[in-house]
Amino acid sequence: MREQKKKRILVWIGVVVIAFICLSPFVWMLVVSFAERPDFLASEKIPYVFTLQNYKQIIGTRDLHVMDYFKNSLVVAFVVTVAAVVIASFAGYAVSRMRFKGKMAIILGVLAVSMFPQISIVGYLFKLMTAIRWINTYRALIFPYIAWVMPISLWILVSYFMQLPTDLDEAAMVDGANRIQALIKVILPLSAPGIFSTSLLVFISAFNEFMFALMLTTDYHARTIPVGIALFEGLHGQIPWGQMMASSAIASIPLVILTLIFQRYIVQGLTAGALKE
Amino acid sequence: MMFAKLGRGAVRSSSSESGLAYLLLAPVVILVGGLILVPVFGTLVLSFFRDVTFLPPVKFIGLANYRRLLSDPDFWNSTFVTVMFAVVAVFFETVLGLFYALVINEKFRLRGVMRAVVLIPWAIPTIVSAKIWQLMYNFNYGLLNYLLVHLHLSSHPVNWLGTPLSAFTSIVVSDVWKTAPFMAILFLAGLQSIPSALYEAAMVDGASMFQRFWNITLPMLRPIIVIALVFRTIDSLRIFDLIYVLTGGGPAGSTTSVSIYGFKLYILGDFGYGSTVSVFTFVLILIFTIVYLKVGRFQEGMKR
Repeated sequence: MREQKKKRILVWIGVVVIAFICLSPFVWMLVVSFAERPDFLASEKIPYVFTLQNYKQIIGTRDLHVMDYFKNSLVVAFVVTVAAVVIASFAGYAVSRMRFKGKMAIILGVLAVSMFPQISIVGYLFKLMTAIRWINTYRALIFPYIAWVMPISLWILVSYFMQLPTDLDEAAMVDGANRIQALIKVILPLSAPGIFSTSLLVFISAFNEFMFALMLTTDYHARTIPVGIALFEGLHGQIPWGQMMASSAIASIPLVILTLIFQRYIVQGLTAGALKE
Repeated sequence: MMFAKLGRGAVRSSSSESGLAYLLLAPVVILVGGLILVPVFGTLVLSFFRDVTFLPPVKFIGLANYRRLLSDPDFWNSTFVTVMFAVVAVFFETVLGLFYALVINEKFRLRGVMRAVVLIPWAIPTIVSAKIWQLMYNFNYGLLNYLLVHLHLSSHPVNWLGTPLSAFTSIVVSDVWKTAPFMAILFLAGLQSIPSALYEAAMVDGASMFQRFWNITLPMLRPIIVIALVFRTIDSLRIFDLIYVLTGGGPAGSTTSVSIYGFKLYILGDFGYGSTVSVFTFVLILIFTIVYLKVGRFQEGMKR
C-alpha cells in the first residue's frame, strides 16, 4: 500500500531526527571531555587532540574533589532510595488495604505536597539545619529528600498494590499470617516490578537534586555532584570545560546505564502515577 | 479514579487494625509533616517578619513585606518571566513530546533502544544538561555558533546568553530538550490505550493518516494531554536549576524566575522578604493548577 510505505519512511525520518536531538548534546559532552583544548572550534589553528587527561585529572587530583562529590551523591541517593521505598511500602499497604479514619486527609495531604516549590521550603530548611548543626552532612540531605520523594513513591506503589486482589491477603491471614507478614511475604514479592520502578525514579531524582544540596552543603564532605559541577572552578581560573565535561560524563554514567537497561521500568513508573485509573 | 477504590480495600477492620495502619503511616506523616509542611508553614510565618541575617533583630512587621512585594518591579518582572517561560516552554514540550511519542509508538527494529535514547535527556542531572548547553551556547567556541557561521546560516556569531530575548530563548530550548521526553512517555502510554479498531474503521472509511491523527489520536489523547500539562506547568513554574547555571537570571533580570529571585534574596540573607516571594511562588502554582483542573473538567463536560 502506498500509504504504508509513506508512513514507514516518515517513521524512519522521525527516528533519525529524534536520535539526533536527544543524543547530540550528550555526544558533544563526550567529545569535549576527550579534547586536549575545549576551544578547538574557535580557530582552525587549534587542532582537536584526543586525550584522557581530563579524566585523569578529575580522578587523580584530590583537590578537585570530583570523586568525593560523586561518592556523596551515590551514598545519599542510595540511602534515600532504600529508606523511601521501605517507608512508602508500609504506608502504601495501609492506604490500599486497611480501613482507618483520616485516610483521605493523609492521601490528599501527601499529594498536595508535590505541588510545593522547593524554594518555599529551602529557606526554612537552611535555618533548621543550621540550628541543629546538620549543615554539610549527609543527613541534612537524606531526610529532606526522603520527604520530597514520598508523594511519587506512594503514588506508584499504591497504584501497584491496588491491582492485587485483597483475596491474597485474606488467604494469607486465614493461614495465620498477620498484616505485616502478609505485606512482606505476599504483597511485596508480587509488586516487585512496581517497587523496582519506584526505586529507579527515587534514585534518579535524589541523585539529580540541586537546590537543597546547594543550600545545605558547603564543601566536599557532603556536597553532591550536581552542585560540584555547577560550582566547578578548576584550580587555575579560566573555565575548565574539559574537566567539567569529564565530570559531567562521570555524573551521567550511572543514570544512563540505569536508563538503557531498565527503560521499561522507568516508563512504567512514570506512567503509573499519571494514568492508572 | 484510584481514589474511589481506596475505600473498598479493607479486609477486616477493628480498632487494633487502625492502630496498625497509623503505625505504618507514621514515618510518612512525620517526614512529610516535619520537613515539608512545617517548613512551608514556617516560610509563611517568616513572610510577616523582617529577618535579615546581617541586620538583627528579627521583628514582626505585619504585611510590610507584602506591600513591598506589590511595588517591587523586580518581583513583577520575575513573575512575568516565569509565566512566559511556563507557557512557551510547556507548549513546545507538548508538541515535541507528541512527535516523539508518535514515532516511538510505531513498530520498527530497535524500538526499545529508541525509547531508552529518548529518556536520556530526562535522566541525566539538569545541572549536567545545563552545563552542556552553556558550552554549546558559548560565543567564541560553542558548537551552535560554529555551525551557524560555517553552514553560512548567519554571517556573525550570536551572543546566545548575552541578550534578553536570546537568553530567554536559549533557556526554553534547553528546557524543552530536557523535558519533552517526560511528555513523550505519558503520551506514549496514552497512544497505546487507543483501541486499534478505531483506526481500522477509519481506514475502511478511507481516512488519511492526517485525518486519523486529527479525528482519532488527538481527541483520544486529550485527557492525558491535560494531565501532562498540569504536571509540566507546575514543574516549569518552579524552574531554578537550569537558569541558575545558564544565566544566573541575567542579562538584566530577563531570565530571573521567581525561584531564582527568592533564592537570591535568601543568599543575600533577607529571609523575611525571600519567604514572601517563596509564598507567592506557591500561590502562583496553585492558581495555575486550579485553572487547569477547572478547564480540564469543563472540557470533559463538553464531550458528553
